[in-house]
Amino acid sequence: MQPDIKVRTLSEAAALVPSGCRIHFGGMAVHNHPMAFVRQLLRQGTTNLTVVSHVSAIDVDMLIGEDRVRRLEFSYVGLEEFGTAPCFRRAVQNGQLELSEYSEPVAFERFACSARGMPFFTTREMVGTDIPAVNTDILEVSDPFGTGTYHAISAAEPEWVVIHAPMADEYGNVLFFPHRQLPEDLDLTASRTSRNVIVTVEQIVSHDRVRQLPYLNLIPRFRTTAVVEVPYGAHPCSCLHVYDQDREHLEHYATAARDPASFGQYLDKYVYGLADEAEYLERVGAAQLARLRQIGGGLQ
Amino acid sequence: MSEKATTYEVMAAAIARELRDHELWFLGMSTGPQTILLLTRLPIVAMALAQHTHSPNSWMLVAGWVMNPVVGQVPTRMESEFGTSLGEWPCEAYNNSLAMSYSAARHEIDVGFGSAAQVDKYGNCNTVAIGSYERPKVRLVGPINQPGHFSLFGREIIIVPHEKRNFVDRVDFVSGAGYLDGPGCREELGLKRGGPCMILTDKAVFRFDPETRLAMLASVHPGITLDEIVAETGYTHSYVPAEIEQTPLPTPDELRLMRELLDPNARMLPR
Repeated sequence: MQPDIKVRTLSEAAALVPSGCRIHFGGMAVHNHPMAFVRQLLRQGTTNLTVVSHVSAIDVDMLIGEDRVRRLEFSYVGLEEFGTAPCFRRAVQNGQLELSEYSEPVAFERFACSARGMPFFTTREMVGTDIPAVNTDILEVSDPFGTGTYHAISAAEPEWVVIHAPMADEYGNVLFFPHRQLPEDLDLTASRTSRNVIVTVEQIVSHDRVRQLPYLNLIPRFRTTAVVEVPYGAHPCSCLHVYDQDREHLEHYATAARDPASFGQYLDKYVYGLADEAEYLERVGAAQLARLRQIGGGLQ
Repeated sequence: MSEKATTYEVMAAAIARELRDHELWFLGMSTGPQTILLLTRLPIVAMALAQHTHSPNSWMLVAGWVMNPVVGQVPTRMESEFGTSLGEWPCEAYNNSLAMSYSAARHEIDVGFGSAAQVDKYGNCNTVAIGSYERPKVRLVGPINQPGHFSLFGREIIIVPHEKRNFVDRVDFVSGAGYLDGPGCREELGLKRGGPCMILTDKAVFRFDPETRLAMLASVHPGITLDEIVAETGYTHSYVPAEIEQTPLPTPDELRLMRELLDPNARMLPR
């Protein structure tokens, strides 16, 4: 008997995610965010999201700019070398976004905690800062073993997890490269925090390939709800070991998103004015995409 | 070496002198091109300089995962904390997992590097919000790893561009706990070690008075006048000592190492 085929179109997969849900988008800083999926959520009108993240960038910034995020649990929203995230900044300054912020290792640990099936963990890392005073989700607890008081932090517990990866087979086994960087490892942890896991991939490969490389199958198919083939699905972010982040595009975004009118023009050009991601790739252009290619890079 | 040292080289040498042998040094991510230069590329050159002059047993954690890179052979300018090209840096060890080979929570890291939009007279740092938290005048990127730098690490070197708006009496939001409201505050919260040890700018060095915990002008970089410092420092407390020292120039050996071995193509520090 054959296992279920998990391959879906991008619009089918995006339709699985209901408005109002609690969702995590994979990737970190300007790397490996499931950007094609984010663009499709924008096209399909998905809204009222609670985003539980750690180090976010253009992915969450675009959703915030279109008022699709009600609440954000996070440590960072920014564009690294391209500066602050303009829509996030504007929304918070206008009081339009509910925030729950943490230090970065604590935000990471919330996912590890979920993956272990633990409801909470404790830390003293944020002692002395104003974070516990403004984040009402951080509670004070005493160690029953008598070592003192700690901040109790709840597990991430996303309802939906969407990540972008290099390869999957049609049954939903997801292959990673052996030399991973932290953004990829965080995605693996996140994949273990929910039974609703959507993975967009650069390429669907044969099941035989998985059998030849079983040690690269780090998200086995019992975890995946759907896989979607979207070449350059992380653009303008990087997909590590496959292509670099598009620095010109991110720089353009950082400028365009500063003003609602030019942000709207950016979205018309790269999201709403395009039927699908094939048109997106045409809009970005083959020459530019080819320049970003780094196949096997960093796999020394 | 006949040429004059650049400001960045003076700063790198100042950091290198602050570092000691047998230590773990941690460098994180930063936002914006100016901060990446000051907070990422400058400390990398400084840490490598220290390793080549007095600290061969130290251990450099770049972005927490590229360890002891061969800095002179780095192929890129390091614009991001991760990336395909960063994965090609020649180095002594990599971490590819969240389960790192070192532990910040176990206080294993001796020195960290931090920056902020505001740093106050007690060395408290703010990367979260200018103005009120609920309706900020300027919302910043978020706390990222700054809390742990000031609560778990042994000491923190703060590096900021020397502009008046960066130096405030009290930060609007504490994302990195310096000496908080003065002597005894850290100890009361159980922060038994750690805290900022210096503020380094493109014009000067500040250090913290062990009694009052106030940031005091420790030295002025060559070619900078006291008037220039005062014009660009927002502190209202008395921070100028009776005798002003000059930040030492790099030695000829340090300058040669930086220009010939560590940054031969000026990819890290412009000159």
